[in-house]
Amino acid sequence: MTLVLIGVNHKTAPIAVRERIAISRGDLPQVTRALAAAPGVAECMIVSTCNRVEILAAVEPTTDGSPDAELRSFLHRHFGLDPELLAPHLYEYRDQQAVSHLFRVAASLDSMVVGEPQILGQVKEAFAAAHVAGTISGQLEHLLQSAFAAAKKVRSETGIGSNSVSIASVGVELAHKIFGSLAGRTVFLVGAGKMSESAARYLVQQGAGTILVANRTLERARLMAEPFGGRVVPIEKLYEEASMADIVITSTSAPHPIFGRQHGQSFLHQRRNRPMFFIDLAVPRDVDPAMGKLEGIFVYDIDDLQALAADHMALRSREASDAEALIAAEVERFHQWQRTVNVAPAIVALQQKAEEIRQAELKRAQPRLGSLSSEQLEAVEALTRGLVNKFLHPPMQALKQAAREKDDARLDALCETWSLPTVSGVGEIESGEGKQPS
Amino acid sequence: MSLLWLRVAAILYAAAAVAVFPAVLHGFVRWRKSCVHLAGMGFFFHFVSVIEMLVQAHQWMPVGILQVESLLGLAVVSVFFLIWWFYDAISLGLFALPITFLIVFVPALGPDPYIFPSEGVRLSWLLVHIAALLAAYVALGFSLLASVLYLLQERRIKSKPKPGEDSWWLPFDWLPPLDTLERIATATLDFGFPCMTVGLAIGALLVQSTALGAVYFRDPKIIAAFGLWFVYCLLILARRAAGLRGRRAAYLSGAVFLVMMVVLATNIFSQVHRYGPR
Repeated sequence: MTLVLIGVNHKTAPIAVRERIAISRGDLPQVTRALAAAPGVAECMIVSTCNRVEILAAVEPTTDGSPDAELRSFLHRHFGLDPELLAPHLYEYRDQQAVSHLFRVAASLDSMVVGEPQILGQVKEAFAAAHVAGTISGQLEHLLQSAFAAAKKVRSETGIGSNSVSIASVGVELAHKIFGSLAGRTVFLVGAGKMSESAARYLVQQGAGTILVANRTLERARLMAEPFGGRVVPIEKLYEEASMADIVITSTSAPHPIFGRQHGQSFLHQRRNRPMFFIDLAVPRDVDPAMGKLEGIFVYDIDDLQALAADHMALRSREASDAEALIAAEVERFHQWQRTVNVAPAIVALQQKAEEIRQAELKRAQPRLGSLSSEQLEAVEALTRGLVNKFLHPPMQALKQAAREKDDARLDALCETWSLPTVSGVGEIESGEGKQPS
Repeated sequence: MSLLWLRVAAILYAAAAVAVFPAVLHGFVRWRKSCVHLAGMGFFFHFVSVIEMLVQAHQWMPVGILQVESLLGLAVVSVFFLIWWFYDAISLGLFALPITFLIVFVPALGPDPYIFPSEGVRLSWLLVHIAALLAAYVALGFSLLASVLYLLQERRIKSKPKPGEDSWWLPFDWLPPLDTLERIATATLDFGFPCMTVGLAIGALLVQSTALGAVYFRDPKIIAAFGLWFVYCLLILARRAAGLRGRRAAYLSGAVFLVMMVVLATNIFSQVHRYGPR
């Protein structure tokens, strides 16, 4: 069985190509089932996200030596695409490289934003869809479980996902550093910019309670407040209401700062020194930087947030090299398991051979054992079985170890010694190869 | 046997104090679990040791300086676990666990070389006096620690990295959120104040049954202890009534802690209330 992974992602294909083969979550089981019906496909699953569509399949060896041909043809057929359109963007990995690629994808090392957490959930969804479709079993099941374990290890043992890299999420992260839990916190949106809306959405997702919106145009404020169940604040009551907010996000087009140091002092007085966090997304700035010097008031403007996001991105890149090393170790561990699975036929043959010999010897000794009681016969049975198992233990272990270490010469010698079917070359099928799009 | 359990506890605290560094500084989940389990086991053996020690002592009283030290260690780790339980702030363990180990290490070395000579010390109400004051000292210590960490975290959030520059604040990523630190600082003070009040009140009442009488209240150590209670009161009032927090609250906590150290230091001058041999 050959493991094949083909697909396109954000690095190899523009969105115009990716969107033509994207599969919705609801359609995934059905499409996976259709793929499993293709000739030679033993097991399969499809990962489809906004940044990638990948088919992972265990396929029977083909005579022409191109196990991916059926998968490519499925993509063209199913999506009604001209092969010439897709071919330049498709990449293909086999065996070892396919495993490595899958592990990297699950661990978010192949993502557009390295370390983003969504991809693991998306791979899990694809796995669940394949389960629903009944297209996944032994080999892929173990492969996916290993990929999830590797991804979890990468997340817990490296800092790859520990820092936010978008402006909005950096703002939310800072809010967490100030307030801890955001549950029940009041967020005040001053101005109705897209970015402040995005930040507010993040904050609401994190449990922020009340949303207040103030804007020069009341109608725009109402439209913005509605999705969050927020309250519109007339602009003339801006300073009156601002002291109630824990987090103030400003994005107005005012030519001068609308919040100055004296406002900050007044807010702190009214709030009995409870901290306030100002996220200033406006250019020119809405919040006077002098306000940030007050104890208990934290001001971050767009440049500060961008610098922090860039800093976090650089950190992630550094952590990514540790993550790659972890993934390499996990891939090797999977291959060791796979190689021991590949010597299973030889081990079964060895056990069968030994059992046949044991049965034959018992039969030969039957006339002389005739006088034994049933308990004594059971004891003889157990004794012979125990002896055989003890004798078989060292060669079985030796076979597994030789397979783990890809020691073909030793495997051959062991098989020859015990007259077993040849299993040498278990390592070769995992060497794999990859094709990048031209 | 109590010494054996104390030694086991000391070893477990040492291991927990080592595990807390990767757990907090690198956020390693496995180390975090190990740290909590090790400290938990240490607490269990420490508790067993303290109970055995008190059972052995007459009328359930710690009768030696090392026994009191062991109780103090138990109080530190108890407050650490309470903070961990309520605020999920294991990061305070960076300080609490090594301190606990150091406090427990000395009594774990051997039996108490000095036993309080006074018969009065064996009054069982004194156990409440000692335990309440130890709890108050520990609470004050944790409050100061939380206030100092608040200052660090505040400065860290206020100092913004320049593009392409590594922030020197990066190693402080483990600091708990400001709000959590503020709540820890306030809650530990709120917990410590009644403990100190009860401890001092019991001490004052117990002394009435001795021959010392009013002389006791003229002793420098006792005056300093009541002075400590007074500034403790002020600290709580300032935090509660005036909404004092942040830098000024940390400075005030530091001042109260300083007074606490003065109280401990006046032991040398005290004629009626001493921990060690003269």
